Amino acid sequence: MELNKLTVQNFRNYSNLQLEFSTGINIFLGANAQGKTNLLEAIYVLALTRSHRTSNDKELINWQNQTATVSGSVWRDNYKLPLEITFSKKGKKALVNHLEQAKLSQYVGNLNVVLFAPEDLELVKGSPAIRRNFIDREFGQINPKYLFNATQYRNILRQRNNYLRQLQLQQAHDLVYLDVLTEQLVNYGAHILLARKSLLAKLEKVAHQTQQAITDGQETLTFKYVSAIKLTELADLTAIKTALTNKFASQKNRELQQGTTLVGPHRDDLQFLVNGQNVQSFGSQGQQRTTALAVKLAEIDLMKIETGEYPVLLLDDVLSELDTKRQTHLLKTIQDKVQTFITTPSLSDVARHLIKKPKIFLVEAGKVTEE
Amino acid sequence: MQYPEPITQLIASYMKLPGIGQKSATRLAFYTLGMDEEDVTGFAQALIAAKRDLQFCSICGNITENDPCIICQDTSRDQTTVLVVEQSKDVMSMENTHEYHGLYHVLHGVLSPLNGQGPDDINITSLVTRLQDHSDISEVIVATNANSEGEATAMYLARLLKPAGIKVTRLAHGLAVGSDIDYADEMTLIKAVEGRTEL
Ligand SMILES: Nc1ncnc2c1ncn2[C@@H]1O[C@H](COP(=O)(O)OP(=O)(O)OP(=O)(O)O)[C@@H](O)[C@H]1O
Ligand SMILES: [Mg+2]
Ligand SMILES: [Zn+2]
Repeated sequence: MELNKLTVQNFRNYSNLQLEFSTGINIFLGANAQGKTNLLEAIYVLALTRSHRTSNDKELINWQNQTATVSGSVWRDNYKLPLEITFSKKGKKALVNHLEQAKLSQYVGNLNVVLFAPEDLELVKGSPAIRRNFIDREFGQINPKYLFNATQYRNILRQRNNYLRQLQLQQAHDLVYLDVLTEQLVNYGAHILLARKSLLAKLEKVAHQTQQAITDGQETLTFKYVSAIKLTELADLTAIKTALTNKFASQKNRELQQGTTLVGPHRDDLQFLVNGQNVQSFGSQGQQRTTALAVKLAEIDLMKIETGEYPVLLLDDVLSELDTKRQTHLLKTIQDKVQTFITTPSLSDVARHLIKKPKIFLVEAGKVTEE
Repeated sequence: MQYPEPITQLIASYMKLPGIGQKSATRLAFYTLGMDEEDVTGFAQALIAAKRDLQFCSICGNITENDPCIICQDTSRDQTTVLVVEQSKDVMSMENTHEYHGLYHVLHGVLSPLNGQGPDDINITSLVTRLQDHSDISEVIVATNANSEGEATAMYLARLLKPAGIKVTRLAHGLAVGSDIDYADEMTLIKAVEGRTEL
């Protein structure tokens, strides 16, 4: 899918702007604080109805105005789909093909985006929770059943932790109910683990190829799923359920003592190994950056495999962070494949010559001109 | 400026209702002031009567004027089946179908430790005693909501009752009748396929 046109009204530091894009690589070029990221944010918001930078929608509205609108025309397979989203004090309104959608969940999915920003380095450097959130968010976007199972699991886990705490404090005594909550966690947890196993295998395959491409064959990237149960040895749902049930049984006393759930996919982690070493502990900054990028780029291919279409790629301040060799390979990897939007304060000659027919937009204080 | 006290009292009373904030309460209070005296008196009496003249049925837990309720007293109903619901208003919904002719049991809630509702806090003990006292009851249909708490409550009841030889069933999930497949969300479709029936 591609975004052909974008219209932005009273959004952040833009009053009125209309842009037409290339189906290849689009570059927003400009000095700091001119509004480059704001444009990527507008595209992100048009896709997902919320920002990646703030949970407060009001921040998106231009300070001098009451209502912000972002609209665009998305080209899918062989039809055009107009999308529009409006933010005001009263909330937000999302329109598909000029019709207002009662549920935002019906709006999302018409334009898929993958964003890569400097913060995404945390995917490699940060805590396991960041990687689990990444897995749940991305797999949830691709697979509605995964999203459902993950949401149910989260609810049940909160109930179970609360109940274990009550048992620990002797405010509750019924162990049959604890067994029920355990059985529920095992059921949803097994579905999550099985889906993670198969989707991670697909993601790893693509991420491996991408890392090889970006590093000119120097680095091999592999995944290691770290869990209390050995996923690699478990072929199907029944086997995973049995393994989880046994794990829960063996930890029951510890759980009762500690008053919290000690087993399950919410405690697992994903390690990224570069040339066999955990890149979180042993990788250089550059290797960590490349790994995060390779995983994000792999997500694009996974979306294509699972949903049949490539999403739109948004790269915020990524080029300037890579050396020219890695830049070259990155651009080669995405060229001719996905429509891409890149923000950068400067454009190296290498990049300029490499990109076929780039469309370059100069961004200055909320005004945009085509180079 | 402050509103006169009778109005602020009325606003405060409306705000005790679920989902009513200060703004709506104020609107309702001023609307009430504009109503006929007769209607307002009727309204006030209805509120008091609902509270005073209604009680919970000592057998099934449903709200009723007389204890036991008319459903529990009706011997022409199927005495072998009990349908378990979360709330009294679910009994009304079921009755309006005119298709179910068995008995009911109202839990007044659903298992949810986060909301302070454990097995002892909802109407489960009375269900167990009831089943012990009435050995002709052979099936319990659990009609709790199709969310994780409703599911846990159903599973809990199954564990409790099955050893006593009682058949425990759960309502099917699926497509809304008369709805188009295009408009169903994907999880409803997945559940509907899982619960498909042979023709
Ligand atoms: N609601 C708003 N109304 C008006 N201006 C805003 C609003 N929100 C942010 N801005 C302005 O937008 C500018 C920041 O834009 P943006 O984050 O897009 O910068 P950038 O070009 O990506 O810069 P950098 O290269 O430093 O990342 C700031 O000058 C800020 O004052
Ligand atoms: Mg920026
Ligand atoms: Zn009754």
